[in-house]
Amino acid sequence: MTVRFKEFDHIITEQYQAEQAFLAEYQQGQYTFANPYVKLNPYLIAPLTALVMFKTAEPTTVSITVKGKEKAGDISFKFPEATDHMIPVYGLYADHANQLEMILGSGETTVVTLQTEAAHKGVKQPTQITTTADYFQDNIMFLTSTSTAQVAGYDYRGDVRWYGTINFAFDLKRVSNGRLLVGTHRLMIPPYHTTGIYEIGMIGKIYKEYRLPGGYHHDQFEMEDGNLLILTQDLPRGTVEDMCVLVDRKTGQIIKTWDYQKVLPQDVGGSGSQDTHDWFHNNAVWYDKKTNSLTLSGRHQDAIINIDYETGALNWIIGDPEGWPQELVNKYFFKPVGEGDFDWQYEQHACVVCPNGDIMAFDNGHWRAKVKEKYLPAKDNFSRGVRYRIDTEKMEIEQVWQYGKERGAEFFSTYICNVEYFGEGHYLVHSGGIGTFDGETCNKPPVQFRGEDEKKVVLNSITVEIKDDVVVYEMHLPANFYRAEKLKLYSPEDELTLGKGELLGTLGVTEEFTTIPPAEESGIVPEKYNVKLGLEEDRLIFKATFEKGQMVLLQLEGETTHSYFVPTTKRPFLAMCVGTFQESDERAVEFPVSREGLAGEFKVSLIVDEFKYETGVTVSL
Amino acid sequence: MAVEVREINGEELEQLVNQGKVLVDFYSKTCGPCKMLSFVLKDVAKSVDGVEIVTIDFDTNKEAVERYGVESYPTMIVFSNGQEVTRVKGLQQKPKIIQIIG
Repeated sequence: MTVRFKEFDHIITEQYQAEQAFLAEYQQGQYTFANPYVKLNPYLIAPLTALVMFKTAEPTTVSITVKGKEKAGDISFKFPEATDHMIPVYGLYADHANQLEMILGSGETTVVTLQTEAAHKGVKQPTQITTTADYFQDNIMFLTSTSTAQVAGYDYRGDVRWYGTINFAFDLKRVSNGRLLVGTHRLMIPPYHTTGIYEIGMIGKIYKEYRLPGGYHHDQFEMEDGNLLILTQDLPRGTVEDMCVLVDRKTGQIIKTWDYQKVLPQDVGGSGSQDTHDWFHNNAVWYDKKTNSLTLSGRHQDAIINIDYETGALNWIIGDPEGWPQELVNKYFFKPVGEGDFDWQYEQHACVVCPNGDIMAFDNGHWRAKVKEKYLPAKDNFSRGVRYRIDTEKMEIEQVWQYGKERGAEFFSTYICNVEYFGEGHYLVHSGGIGTFDGETCNKPPVQFRGEDEKKVVLNSITVEIKDDVVVYEMHLPANFYRAEKLKLYSPEDELTLGKGELLGTLGVTEEFTTIPPAEESGIVPEKYNVKLGLEEDRLIFKATFEKGQMVLLQLEGETTHSYFVPTTKRPFLAMCVGTFQESDERAVEFPVSREGLAGEFKVSLIVDEFKYETGVTVSL
Repeated sequence: MAVEVREINGEELEQLVNQGKVLVDFYSKTCGPCKMLSFVLKDVAKSVDGVEIVTIDFDTNKEAVERYGVESYPTMIVFSNGQEVTRVKGLQQKPKIIQIIG
């Protein structure tokens, strides 16, 4: 048997089994305040968390403090009155005998030692951090990775106080129920489109996965009613990152769709990284209640656009108008005004609508021009956070703030990054995609270098907070990180609830290929193709190694035969926004087939060029 | 109703594009989707009429590639009496190709 086959559970099922196991263990013992039940990493994916459980005879509050390495590093929270106490513990240090102090309402105190293991090797340590405990307090800077690194949260000293062991993707945001929304670690379409988003508690428990037929990328936004705006695409039409959907929070069903192909031409205004497949590259969405509109960042048209929430009609475009048709320029583009410095943004990320209607973004500045002859090389370029004031009546735009231009190439990121608005004059600017190749600032995303070239790449990520034009926080990490989000570990709304998480929405039916090429029956698939098959609750995952240019068709043969074309030619992605799913072997292929629409027993076979191979695997779907 | 798929070179293409409706597939021997597309085109050919379906090697016909601004393979262009009508990049399935032929 040359094919490896494994059935495995969805992480939600694994977590449920783990929960059942520790609850059973807890029920078997007599745990008290003085001798509580302690479970480190109860949900398997957040090693710096724990769950402490015990009973008290009378209802009482419990105040806890995870002791810092110094006083300023203490993390405290007070839990409401109860007799059955489930205390989530966050903010432990790795490889450390953590002291957890617990105080009941009566004043009774106990201290529990929680010995953690050394951090996963992918947890990056800061190479520089500049702030004060007074300023940063018990906030944690969370960063989601795009290079080989774990998602992690760092305190004012740069100590890691939270990290995840699975490959969460893209944006991590706290929502109104105190939980986090983050891209799933389940790859749907290489190089980085995943199945959807997780709703996860700080303890690491995944409460929901919102799955989408077109997969998820880059960003999500919680509406006031709890429904979710999620960025996606319609895969069969052959383009990516050009749709947004509104997803019902309870059911996961798509209830509204915005298709940018309906309002934008796809063959004009292209940035230096545009191709026909990824013509817009939508990397952020923001809903503004005042104008009832969506603001969307499109890296590959150097454009921040605004569309009407109800109709999807285009309202305006912020961007350099060069190369756009004049009728669109006249109707939708702004004219710069004001006395101060002004630059358009190029290949920007993370648009934000400020409370007064100003638009902020991270202006990567990649290429910093609309025509090739004017492209600015990375070594002479800059990235920055920028804030524009727009007048949609006069169609005028003024640049009212920026940070980063003065830092030049050392702050330059060709891709990813974000800004945050904390209040007037108080912003976060995260340049997370910095890299040099052989000492030269990279002109392309540094994670695109593979093989021997990868060894010549030095990665950096710089996260800055500015308050009244003073830098009050700066952290450097030796990796690339998609976004930075400053959060507190504890949120009163993020209550741990027991029970199995939910798989919502749908992966849809994977597109089948209707033309079947002739192929000679050739026995069992050769070992050189390194074929692996994984059967998950909602999909079959095919992995193998092929030479570039081989023609591969995956077939499921049962009462009916289902055939799927497996791409072996890598698309030249010019925006490798998340490189964490990349295999070290460039020939590696991964292709998931949704189980939706498939029922029965199927023999799995392969057509590789003119040969047909059996895998020896039969699956029951 | 059927036509044949045949391979041509750049010079032949110049002659051919002016003669009625032509679907040209720029392909490469080093490309999996191109190989698959060759089978799809044979399948399409069985179902259409009044169109020439031809393939041209991207790697050995650089002049034609440049003349028609072909950036990647596979790329299919439909010409009608010398005028480009439609251009589609990437592997497509039979119904889509029949649709672009029109």
